[in-house]
Amino acid sequence: MNRRTSWTAAVLITISTVLAACGSSPGGAASGTIKIGTQTYSEPKIIAEMYKALIEDRTDLKVDIVPDLAASPIVIKSMDKNDVQMATLYTGEIFNGYFDIEDTKDRAEVLKQAQEGFDKKYGFKWFDPYGFENTYAFAVRKDVADQNGLKNVSDLKDLAKDMRIGVDTTWLERENDGYRAFTRTYGFEFAKTFPMEISLVYQAVADKKVDVVLAYTTDPGIKQYNLQTLADDKQFFPPYDASPVVRKDMLEKYPALNEIVPLLIGQIDAATMTGLNFEVDVNKRSPRDVAVEFLRSKGLLK
Amino acid sequence: MQGNYVDFLRDRYPDLLAAAREHLAISAVSILLGILAAVPLGIYLANSRNKTLNALVFSIANLFQTVPSLALLAILIPLFGIGAKPAVFALFLYSLLPILRNTYAGFQSVDPAILESAEGMGYSPFQRLLRIQFPLALPYIMSGIRLTTVYIISWTTLASLIGAGGLGQLIVSGIGVNKEELIVSASICAIALALLSDRVLGVVEKRLTKRVGKKPEASWSS
Repeated sequence: MNRRTSWTAAVLITISTVLAACGSSPGGAASGTIKIGTQTYSEPKIIAEMYKALIEDRTDLKVDIVPDLAASPIVIKSMDKNDVQMATLYTGEIFNGYFDIEDTKDRAEVLKQAQEGFDKKYGFKWFDPYGFENTYAFAVRKDVADQNGLKNVSDLKDLAKDMRIGVDTTWLERENDGYRAFTRTYGFEFAKTFPMEISLVYQAVADKKVDVVLAYTTDPGIKQYNLQTLADDKQFFPPYDASPVVRKDMLEKYPALNEIVPLLIGQIDAATMTGLNFEVDVNKRSPRDVAVEFLRSKGLLK
Repeated sequence: MQGNYVDFLRDRYPDLLAAAREHLAISAVSILLGILAAVPLGIYLANSRNKTLNALVFSIANLFQTVPSLALLAILIPLFGIGAKPAVFALFLYSLLPILRNTYAGFQSVDPAILESAEGMGYSPFQRLLRIQFPLALPYIMSGIRLTTVYIISWTTLASLIGAGGLGQLIVSGIGVNKEELIVSASICAIALALLSDRVLGVVEKRLTKRVGKKPEASWSS
């Protein structure tokens, strides 16, 4: 390559690098973009698509969805750094050590602490809930439930020492409502724990590789694999109500959002959310289609 | 913050050690299986003249290599279930290509002239293999094994996603509960394991070279 060619090449490379860097600046720049971060499962992704449809329909803002952030703490960290400006979070998140809290299982109290705590610490507005919670529930195969007359978690007490349980990896580590705390409250242990990615536990119990799983209550896997959930008779798990959470500076910059975000508050109950998750995970429809269909059915979108 | 970290370590080191043990077990079995499969295969391919077979085997090994690790783990679940079995199998598949390639390159590197002279001096094929080819190829083979070991120990962190345990489990749950100390400590353990294994393999290589790696010229004059 002669000098002229290599000089031209160098200039072109520099220009394209600079352009690429400019293009990926954090949202809220002059371009009017808002970024919604989501966790790895379908539920927050469907809700993100709902907001994308609503915001782009009613304003000039553009919405980018940043999917598959590994866990809620990562979503919160990203929001804190302004890499994303909005997300769906669950009130039980307050027990992950972000700020000092009062230990309580009361639904209203937990919500209040979430709203106050995240506002004070991060400047987030934690809106009121959509209307469903996605909490933990022990689940067994229906035939096992019928055979042993299992209705409550306490019914597992005598059987547990012979049972293998599949759980999401993090649950073993959680202080407040994890395995260690569970054994203290319910007074029994399982024979062996298998921590894994949550989406795999349902297949694992259906295939009899484990005997009981700790499911997420709005996961379609419960219905899909014909599992039965057991009631938390000792009220061990705290509430996990889902809400939209937005950076306050974003709300100040684009006040229209203050009207749009609340549109979904109180509009989605647990049965509905599970149904939407089912459409995406089991019937393999795209989150976008499912979200738009839901909004139309509620008259929120034409 | 410093004080907290020391307390944390004091509390959790049994968990870290247990996880490290699990982690090492999975990695070790995978690599051992990889060596058992890939070294003889590499020797065979280097000595065979069948170009199509060579190309075929390398393509297949290459294929395994390029499948994204998470996808491979998920695909294996219907066959092996969850837990250590699919993890070990997936890691075994990943270890094949580097060991195979290095073994093959090692054997290819032996000067054919030396082999011809040895044949002329009455060495049987097996003697040629053991006393000439293998000692000369050993550095290549060992470097392939050492490289693969470090990779495999790192990739084993993914095994936790399908219930195989190991240090990956502590890393993933640390992410889930916002405990950075856990993420960092488990990662440091994994790094330590990799460095330690490389060291140990280095010693093994030295010992093997002393026992097996006599210079071919020396053995001719005896």
